[in-house]
Amino acid sequence: MSATVSETIDWSIPTEGTRLDALVEPAVEAGILDEHAKRELRRAILTAVCVPGYQVPFGSREMPVARGWGSGGLQITLAIVGLDDVVKVIDQGDDEGVNAVNLRRLVTDTTGATETTEVSEATVIQTRHRIPEDALEAHQTLVLQVPVPEPLRGVERNIAELGRMHAEADYSRMWVSLYEDKVRNGVITKSTGYPCLVGGRYVIATTPIPRWDVPRLHRAPFLSLFGAGRERKIYAIPPDTDVEPLTFDDVPFEIEKTPGARCSLCDATEAYLIEIPPSDAAADDGRWICSDTAWCRRRRVEASQS
Amino acid sequence: MGYAAARGGLDAISAAEALVRDARDLANSPWLELDQLIDRQRLAVDRVMGEGGLWDPRLAARALQQSEGDTIEASHLLRSYRATMPRFAYSHPVDMDDARVLRRIVPAFRNPPGPQLLGRTTDYTGRLLDRTDDALARERAEKRSIDWAPAEQAVTTSNPTDAGTVASTGPTKAHLGDRRHRRLLDVLRDMDLMVDRRRTDDPEPADITRAATRPPAPRSAVLATMARAETGALVNLWYRNILGPDGYIHEVTLGEVRHAEIPVTVTHPHTGGPVDIGGVRVTEVEAIEDLDGADEDRTRFDAGYGLCFGHNEKKAIAMANLDIACHRDGGGVGGASDLEQSILMTTDGLDASGFLEHLKLPHYVTFRSMIDRKMAMRSARTAEHPVFDTTTATDAPVPVDPREGDCA
Amino acid sequence: MTLVSAPRPTVLRVDRLGKIFGSQNPAAIEQTGPEVGSEKTPDGSSVVAAWDVSFDVAAGEAFGVIGESGSGKSTVMRAIAGDHSASAGSVRMRRRDGSTSDLLTMTQSERRALRVDELAVVYQDAADGLDLNVTAGGNIADRLTAAGGRHFGQIRERAAELLERTEVPLDRMDDLVRTFSGGMRQRVQLARALANRPPIVLFDEPTTGLDASVAAGVLDLIRSLLEELGIAAVVVSHDFSVIEMLTTRCMVMQHGRVVEQGLTDQLFEDPQAPYTQRLVAAARA
Repeated sequence: MSATVSETIDWSIPTEGTRLDALVEPAVEAGILDEHAKRELRRAILTAVCVPGYQVPFGSREMPVARGWGSGGLQITLAIVGLDDVVKVIDQGDDEGVNAVNLRRLVTDTTGATETTEVSEATVIQTRHRIPEDALEAHQTLVLQVPVPEPLRGVERNIAELGRMHAEADYSRMWVSLYEDKVRNGVITKSTGYPCLVGGRYVIATTPIPRWDVPRLHRAPFLSLFGAGRERKIYAIPPDTDVEPLTFDDVPFEIEKTPGARCSLCDATEAYLIEIPPSDAAADDGRWICSDTAWCRRRRVEASQS
Repeated sequence: MGYAAARGGLDAISAAEALVRDARDLANSPWLELDQLIDRQRLAVDRVMGEGGLWDPRLAARALQQSEGDTIEASHLLRSYRATMPRFAYSHPVDMDDARVLRRIVPAFRNPPGPQLLGRTTDYTGRLLDRTDDALARERAEKRSIDWAPAEQAVTTSNPTDAGTVASTGPTKAHLGDRRHRRLLDVLRDMDLMVDRRRTDDPEPADITRAATRPPAPRSAVLATMARAETGALVNLWYRNILGPDGYIHEVTLGEVRHAEIPVTVTHPHTGGPVDIGGVRVTEVEAIEDLDGADEDRTRFDAGYGLCFGHNEKKAIAMANLDIACHRDGGGVGGASDLEQSILMTTDGLDASGFLEHLKLPHYVTFRSMIDRKMAMRSARTAEHPVFDTTTATDAPVPVDPREGDCA
Repeated sequence: MTLVSAPRPTVLRVDRLGKIFGSQNPAAIEQTGPEVGSEKTPDGSSVVAAWDVSFDVAAGEAFGVIGESGSGKSTVMRAIAGDHSASAGSVRMRRRDGSTSDLLTMTQSERRALRVDELAVVYQDAADGLDLNVTAGGNIADRLTAAGGRHFGQIRERAAELLERTEVPLDRMDDLVRTFSGGMRQRVQLARALANRPPIVLFDEPTTGLDASVAAGVLDLIRSLLEELGIAAVVVSHDFSVIEMLTTRCMVMQHGRVVEQGLTDQLFEDPQAPYTQRLVAAARA
């Protein structure tokens, strides 16, 4: 976190005709997030890191992106990024996703940080719905955009009752819903955003990252920050924290897999692949490709060089 | 080619932005002036200031111009602009009786203290589309404009015993008899007909722009949320509670409906004295609620309050009714009502529309994962231990969905 | 030599329990009660729903509370269950670890923890003790997971075992409780209450509202469960036959006070208090 604040106040007293301008402190850098907001965000982030998995309320500011479009992730990134930072922004794993492009330019234009598509060069990675395939290291921070921070939303609507459930670690209704799911469907059908127990205490929503990515949060060397701007909550998983998907002892946690699927561009099987359906019902040109575009591209480059 | 897989995402976005900008700015018709919006689309400008939470008619007009008339988009522009501005003072509390009243009606009494001032309103005008040829209408307006003095006049009062209110320079506090006319609530208090909920402590009002507000919340937080709420959201929340399957509020009787200008004063940081920095225009409503509950004082009334920027009566009236309904219904878990939760969490225009429209963002990672689960379910069904089929139960309601919790 | 079994330990001691609704005026106590003929004060400002109620329950023993509506029996039940606060007295319970706790001084969350595996309540209306939108097995899984159960297979087994014991057809284990009849719901409620083998169970009018034949079956089930499991029980009912069948000792309440207390058989054979005599006579008729 390398942003600095400089404020100077002119204490000379005007004698004639007080003008409104004289009441105003000289503006700090023009940006989209003022210094008070940044301070508040950093405090909320620190609180979140101290209580892993706890949803810290914060005064979410209106951002130039709509609520639900990454305003929370954007605020976290703006609060922690400075001139020395290198920022990667992805959406569904793709640096070129139009919303990722918009967010990235907002960050670099207003903070002076540089941008990259390579994980190895980044210090901060803001992401929607994926963790990059490359392993992140201790000096890197992952900022995740969260649409719905409340993992218990499916079993309880009342806000006060939700607060009580988290406060008392009373997750019994979540367990009942997992039981019912397994009984009704034969498998646990939760797809993305799988609920996880963090540090043995709080259950979190892992945002809609696929199950493929969930095991990579467990005892990760990097810091993960989760920002929900619309819902005004921040939570965190500090490095080396236990993150366990909620499941029964005899019901293994399942990641997405389609036997035989491989990326048609780089031939990978051990990555999260997305499907391109056949061009029509009769065609057999259906295929799979990596969702992490930068990772896939690098593999292709490395393969062509060898 | 997929929408997210478009290479050169920045080029695509820039092209989209150019399309919007050029189609709006380079159209054949004359440039849309901010003054035109302020003078002739004042209610849209007022609404945007109210939902943006920022008083500045020119900025609001600019936002409306930029957003091509989308009021929620315009209020977003105002709010994100506001978020960048330093905050250098808080105003002194405003005594609403210091207002310069432009319009004031009291439905609860025929002859309240002070006038019934219809003011600038179309409430009593027939909703007939004026089919006059546009060029002719313009010609006539131009002829009349030479004689017209632009101020908030054309005052008529429905109370003929009130002296000197016709053809004057405007209804000011001074004009209305040089004294403050008592509000209806004051009259009812004198008749000992009002429950007294006035506080003797002076709690800090909640600042919803600086701290997240969740139920149970103080009344100031609920009022502040409603003051910035989207107009339609409040109107329909009110209507749904009157007529919908699970609502429980009933209609109030209105005590005061006012459209007024109020002065705004701050403390000078050096001299310590009050400084008048201008004024804003608001709509203010006091609503009277008939108490009929078993645990209530049924020999008295209670009151609800509504206040918002600009001239927006439907919003302020909905606000006042929801305010008192929230108070009466404080019986949920933790003392907060479902209504309070609905107000605090579902009435903000930016939150609601932003979240709704985010569905347009790519969701293919999530969707692939859902397909995977469907395949897994099918394998499970054909495996050794088939699942009991519970679909034969009649009238079985949809059970709790364990998949809820991520976005759609 | 006669073998004398050691006296069973007291697991629940209710001591001068009292609950006043409305104005907490001590004078209300003299203004109410059986002699006065009402639990409400003459000016209506207070209701002395229960006052000076004391009784003990030993391990494995079933204790009955009889009374008509307004007697205070439900108030006593709710105070022990923790659904209500009390105005006076204590409700001391023996914990699994041998210590004693006063339920009335506990926080809500302490009480909730208690209700996982040390104290269970079976309500008159099964909807109060079950989630109707969850399956029969799921309602039991709720208690098992609350106690830390995390093995799906074992949870299924235990749930099936309990449903079998409470005579719920196993092929309905995965049906939503909402689709069950009243009698069947009560059986599921019983299964759920017993899931974590609590040493104390409260029964609040367990068969009221059920058809006579259905009620008889449920009552029979409760009796055999009480015998078999050795749990301490408090049974509240206005129905003498329920108290007679299930309990060894009981007390009679009227207008918030205890009117008579003793062995159930003796109370029936030879009621001393005039009110008890009237109740017994009416029941016999």
